[in-house]
Amino acid sequence: MFLTSIRGLLAHKLRLVMTTVAIVLGVSFVAGTYVFTDSINARFDTLLSDVYSGIDVSVDPVRSDLDTTAGSLPAELLDQVSSVNGVEAAVGQVDGYAQIIGTDDELVGGNGAPTLGMSWVEEPSLNPLRINDGNGRAPLAAGEVVVDVTTAEQTGLVIGDQVRIQFSETAETFEVVGLVSFGEEDGLAGATLAVFELSEAQRVLGLDGAYSSIVAKAVDGVASTDLKQRVAEILPSEAEASTGAEQTQRELNQVSADLGFLTTSLLMFAAVAIFVGAFIIQNTFRILVAQRTKEFGLLRAVGADRRQIMTMVGLEALVVGLIASGVGIAAGVGLSYGLRAGMNSMGFRLPDGPLTVQPRTVVVALLVGVVTTLISALLPAVKAARVSPVAALSDAPPSNGARSLRTRTITGSVTTFVAVGMLTVGLVAKAGFIYVAAGAGLVFLGVAVLAPMAARPLAELLGRPIMLLSGVSGKLAKENTRRKPRRTASTAAALMIGIALVSFVSIFAASVKSSVEETVAESFSIDLAIQPTVLGDPSDPESHSGFPAEFTDQLRQLPELGVVSAGRFGLARIDGDVEGLVAIEPETIEAVYTLDPSQDALEKASDGGLLVSERKLDEQGWKVGQTIQIEFAETGVQSIAIDGTFRGENLGAYLISVATYDANFTSNVDSFAYVTYGEGIDDTVGRAAVDAIAANYPSVGIQDKDQAAAAAKASIDQLLAMFWGLLGIAIVIAVMGITNTLALSIAERTREVGLLRAVGMSRRQVRSMIRWEALIVSLFGATLGIGLGVLLGWSVTRALGDIGLKGMTIPGGQIVTYVILAGLAGVLAAAWPARSAARMNVLEAINHE
Amino acid sequence: MTTLTQPRIKLAAARIDEATKTYGSNGTRVRALDGVSVQFESGRFTAIMGPSGSGKSTLLQCTAGLDTLDSGTVFIGDVELGSLNDRQLTRLRRDRVGFIFQAFNLIPTLTAEENILLPLSIAGRHPEPDWYEAVVDTVGLRDRLNHRPSELSGGQQQRVAVARALVSRPEIIFADEPSGNLDSKSGAELLSFMRHAVREFGQTIVMVTHDPVAAGYADRIVFLVDGRIVDEMANPTAEAVFDRMKNLGG
Repeated sequence: MFLTSIRGLLAHKLRLVMTTVAIVLGVSFVAGTYVFTDSINARFDTLLSDVYSGIDVSVDPVRSDLDTTAGSLPAELLDQVSSVNGVEAAVGQVDGYAQIIGTDDELVGGNGAPTLGMSWVEEPSLNPLRINDGNGRAPLAAGEVVVDVTTAEQTGLVIGDQVRIQFSETAETFEVVGLVSFGEEDGLAGATLAVFELSEAQRVLGLDGAYSSIVAKAVDGVASTDLKQRVAEILPSEAEASTGAEQTQRELNQVSADLGFLTTSLLMFAAVAIFVGAFIIQNTFRILVAQRTKEFGLLRAVGADRRQIMTMVGLEALVVGLIASGVGIAAGVGLSYGLRAGMNSMGFRLPDGPLTVQPRTVVVALLVGVVTTLISALLPAVKAARVSPVAALSDAPPSNGARSLRTRTITGSVTTFVAVGMLTVGLVAKAGFIYVAAGAGLVFLGVAVLAPMAARPLAELLGRPIMLLSGVSGKLAKENTRRKPRRTASTAAALMIGIALVSFVSIFAASVKSSVEETVAESFSIDLAIQPTVLGDPSDPESHSGFPAEFTDQLRQLPELGVVSAGRFGLARIDGDVEGLVAIEPETIEAVYTLDPSQDALEKASDGGLLVSERKLDEQGWKVGQTIQIEFAETGVQSIAIDGTFRGENLGAYLISVATYDANFTSNVDSFAYVTYGEGIDDTVGRAAVDAIAANYPSVGIQDKDQAAAAAKASIDQLLAMFWGLLGIAIVIAVMGITNTLALSIAERTREVGLLRAVGMSRRQVRSMIRWEALIVSLFGATLGIGLGVLLGWSVTRALGDIGLKGMTIPGGQIVTYVILAGLAGVLAAAWPARSAARMNVLEAINHE
Repeated sequence: MTTLTQPRIKLAAARIDEATKTYGSNGTRVRALDGVSVQFESGRFTAIMGPSGSGKSTLLQCTAGLDTLDSGTVFIGDVELGSLNDRQLTRLRRDRVGFIFQAFNLIPTLTAEENILLPLSIAGRHPEPDWYEAVVDTVGLRDRLNHRPSELSGGQQQRVAVARALVSRPEIIFADEPSGNLDSKSGAELLSFMRHAVREFGQTIVMVTHDPVAAGYADRIVFLVDGRIVDEMANPTAEAVFDRMKNLGG
């Protein structure tokens, strides 16, 4: 049996290759993702272990999840730690936000990558940084700085240069006296480093008389875990101790978390590739089984039982799956190289090093590839086993009766129904992403099951104009796509899924964009919006996301401006969850932003109350006037009354006054400010006045109303770009699928092609017939895909209506582009089958069995 | 006016001279055609007969431009096929030649009518209405025109094939065992239609067959054995053909 399977496969090598491509692609994404992230983790592991090798114990401030600042340790703690028995040496160090300003007055780095300022550690064994020979010296005095080699190379800084550096509240100029490396690396993952002498660092980072952390080295013979115990005993409750190894692990976890987004998107690509590929594999196996009906009949006639036939087809699938997965793993290793190169070219500066292929990678990739192939081949195998021995003798292929159509309608409808249910539960009841993903997957399955019923009428509709355009070739092409509706539908399935995904996302993005546009037009009555140039994650103390309040204060002095209304951001625990609080200036906010507050809400908020969005109030079941408990990081639990409500959540769900903010937070950084010009001041004058002050604050970004809307839309477009990648993968697989199915179908119709050629059809007409056929199939897939995409887009935009989406916008131009791309993909896919069909020898084709 | 000054000569619709064709290589060489020369006159129904492996199908296929000769020449009308490239050959088949095969003559996705009109559709031409009506009536398919091949009997399918071959008024029709897959009644009907087309419309038909009864419908029979023409017979009857075949030892 096994030999028969292998021979069957070898007889159709090319077909085998075409079939496996989809699985190879999917598996290579899985394997590539793992190899890429494992390699980076392994590299960081050795790097960080090396860097922290001298550190036995690290003392850090305890951070709660409410803190938006890193906290600090009192200076006297250093002496206490140093005097612990077993500590050979201990040093205090500081770190914080410091971003280098390039010669073009633009901030260098950031946007997710750390921009670190820190103190130079004199004790070499406790210093993670190194100054290599010829790279200058350590910072010894005020006004001196050392930067990392990579940043220096990028900005053209050399030793002796003056460089301006932006801190949370001020910017100052320093002389570059040296260049540091981080262990063996010149730079790390896009981070920028500015290192100062300790007391200078304490001053510029706002940590006078305090440390960010204290690191200690143990005397010989004392284990770091023991030392950690001893140090922990003398620590106040605001500080905690960890070993160097624990420190390394924490940082490694951070690296993994930072790579998490990339890992998720790559695995999503893999999932799409495999899901789509499964359709193609199933289709190919089904056609092969149909073509070999006689062979199976003969095997049955000479005594093979059903189980053996099933096993035979299953073995073929297993071999195909194994080969494809093997190739996929190899391709994945290549892909991980490409990923690293791609990330580096985008400025991520990932460390070099050998690639890590863990057993887990191989096992998961093999499982994914083989299981997908086996599942795809299951139905065809069952069908092969059902072939009766008589089939060996008869010519007629087994027909699909009305029963199978009814089964199809029922299974398809039920699947679609369940899928829509899951989507609804996932989206409306917010039951979780897993429901949405599973629901979307099931929708595709359900529609794929139902699609053959649409194939005949839709192919007729799409084929009509083609027939009028190109006469007999078009007519034959149209009839060929209608002849086997199930085959047409499964061939188109890959394209359908890709187009559905990308048109859904386009619709969603367009809807969000037009909502943003509308909101900006309706809610903001401003002339300028001030935001930090580097938008970080406000809840992450390592990323800076504000500008000095002193800047806003200067704006308020400008006679050219009418209203300057600033806002701040903070975290608090409300009802058990960490929530973002936005501080506003109740007196001026209405001049710049339409809040639709409930009566007297803003007046009361000035007295220390809380405003809650109507939606949030509703969701929490609160009442206006009620007092709730809010926990702040610095002032603990406070009782605050809900003073009123407002509409929309573009600012946030919870608003307090800046005064209330100042009572509970020590931060002195504004997150945004909205500005209107004074009476009779035009844009040129007003803008010039603001720009003059902003020149001293590189962390300040100024946008007019249109720019603000455009910036918001641009971030949506960035997200969209990823889904173009998804469309690309789906199209590549779809092209393979269409090519494969066409080639198989044409092999089935060899005599037909021979006859057409004999009665006078030219090679060109044969080619165009096959191209038209592919075009109809791909347009069929695109039509279904867009229908599905609109359906998904409609349900999601509706489900999200309550958080501010204002209905569905269908981006016509993009959708048309997708249809054209799909059509082109179809024609491209037809190139090879069309060529080989046109090249057939007429006589051999006619006499073909 | 030329008809007044020139005598009416029956020209050959197709002609093959000194044709040789060999299949296979060294050990398994088969001489399918071994110096064959023959003419097929216009307006006549010629049958090519011979035992299996005599080269009769090869002769038909080479004359029809479906296959090429190793040496020798083929003319259809005044066109020498050896000088034509694939595109010209395809045109020639489309415009000047008709085909009827033993089986699988029809495109399964097209109706009977569409199949009949296929060569014209391929050429982007429309049928002459009168002629089309006459052909449809001759083969007796008027009530079957909108049926697909799968809804037609074997005899009906072959009649559609005959109609298709006739409708473009080709200079010559080549038929390869057209009644080979039919029962004797349908076969007889089909051959009658073909003879009718020759008698009434002046159509030229060349048919390969190994069935003496089928050959009996022809005006002339050419006998082929081992790639050579060994005999000819004019106005044959089935019995005479049968006797001759026995003597050929096929």
